[in-house]
Amino acid sequence: MLRLVLACICTSVLTGVVGAGNEPPNPLHVASRELELSVAKKAEIYLLLSPERRALEVRARGITLDCVSLGGIELLSQQRMIGRSLPSAPSVPARWVVKEGPGDADREVIAPEVLRPMPKEGEEEEEPVPNPAPAGAGPTPTPTPIPEPPVSYRVTLENGWDIWITDRLPQQGFLHLIGAAIQDGWRRWRGQGTDLAPAVTLVMTAEDARRLHHLFRTGTTIIVTAGEH
Amino acid sequence: MSADGRFVLGVQVERPRRRWVWLVLPGLVAVLVLSGGCLGLLRAGRPLVATRFELTPVLSGSFGSGIGVEKRAARAEAELRRLAPRGAYIVIDTYRNRLHLLEDGKVLRSAICSTGTGRVLRDPRNGREWVFDTPMGERIIENKRKDPPWAKPDWAFIEEGYLPPPPGSPERWDNVSLGDYGLYMGDGYIIHGTLFKSLLGRRVTHGCVRLGDEDLEFVYKNAPLGTRVYLY
Repeated sequence: MLRLVLACICTSVLTGVVGAGNEPPNPLHVASRELELSVAKKAEIYLLLSPERRALEVRARGITLDCVSLGGIELLSQQRMIGRSLPSAPSVPARWVVKEGPGDADREVIAPEVLRPMPKEGEEEEEPVPNPAPAGAGPTPTPTPIPEPPVSYRVTLENGWDIWITDRLPQQGFLHLIGAAIQDGWRRWRGQGTDLAPAVTLVMTAEDARRLHHLFRTGTTIIVTAGEH
Repeated sequence: MSADGRFVLGVQVERPRRRWVWLVLPGLVAVLVLSGGCLGLLRAGRPLVATRFELTPVLSGSFGSGIGVEKRAARAEAELRRLAPRGAYIVIDTYRNRLHLLEDGKVLRSAICSTGTGRVLRDPRNGREWVFDTPMGERIIENKRKDPPWAKPDWAFIEEGYLPPPPGSPERWDNVSLGDYGLYMGDGYIIHGTLFKSLLGRRVTHGCVRLGDEDLEFVYKNAPLGTRVYLY
């Protein structure tokens, strides 16, 4: 991880050094930095998506804390097989804010039914007698382990777009699309179809997808940069 | 055999032809209905189609006038440098349960830690809830203490199924659970030691960050007051 972070930092520094030469700075790059500055003033963690470097960085105060390299960035939208209308490309630099993220997912609740008084010093506590297990219930279960986050999930943004984190894109061959269209048509015919917002799809390894999961919470900021950043 | 041999022959030939028609016709209708249905589903269906992610660069109007791009770039870089931590800082990865102590971008120590479970505890008496999350964002080491005592909050008793004793009660004081050192990050969140070393590397805490003894001592000695902590 540290090697990856250092590589990200080096790339950022190198691009900065290159940009610091005689050539005038790229206005898009400057606009991206100004946008980041406005976010970095708060004591919050934010994400920085650099489509040109194919990287998603975890940042705070302008420094890179972690870096995920992307296997691909695609625009995924629901399209009719005949008469497609592709969504317009998102403008950059941009600041996207998570409206609803998987990081807000339901949590396990521990709720003791009754509270008993603390045993006094020297006093041996009577172990509470558990309810007898129903016949054939088997051994007492161990505490639930914390579930692993998924490797594919959608994040709703305030601007009407989605971010889709996944470790693989859906197959895009002609026959696969035909199959998917019939399947979706069948679902719609049965009244079970769903309309999905166009999604910026970030393809990454399963492990990276899992470890970013908790960062996509309501209010998380994602800066999309333009030019080398 | 009839007088007209062709008629007989014709009957013999026509019968199988009719059967063939009656067999094929429903098949043809079925195929037509099926393909029509498929076409209908195909028309109604909207599969996910991937297209190249192309960006539309948009610059705000302020770039056309006012200060030059060079000056704006220099100012943004200077301000970002000013915001970045100087000297030692701590980065905590709550997914991997890793703590890194860095100084000017150089890693001084990487350690396995334990962070919050993310579970919720509910008080059965009044429904009050506690979320055992390690907070995300930037914090500051506000205080440091050797042999930190722990004033056990209500949740520590409720979690065990006990009624919390009154505030200030001696039963609330615990002098061993937090280990040898404590680095206080505000709102009750502490980087401290643990009695349960085998649980290091797992999400088992109530929001605090637990470290092994040697790592804790190193962090305690090398992270001065005011050290910034980045938790993500």
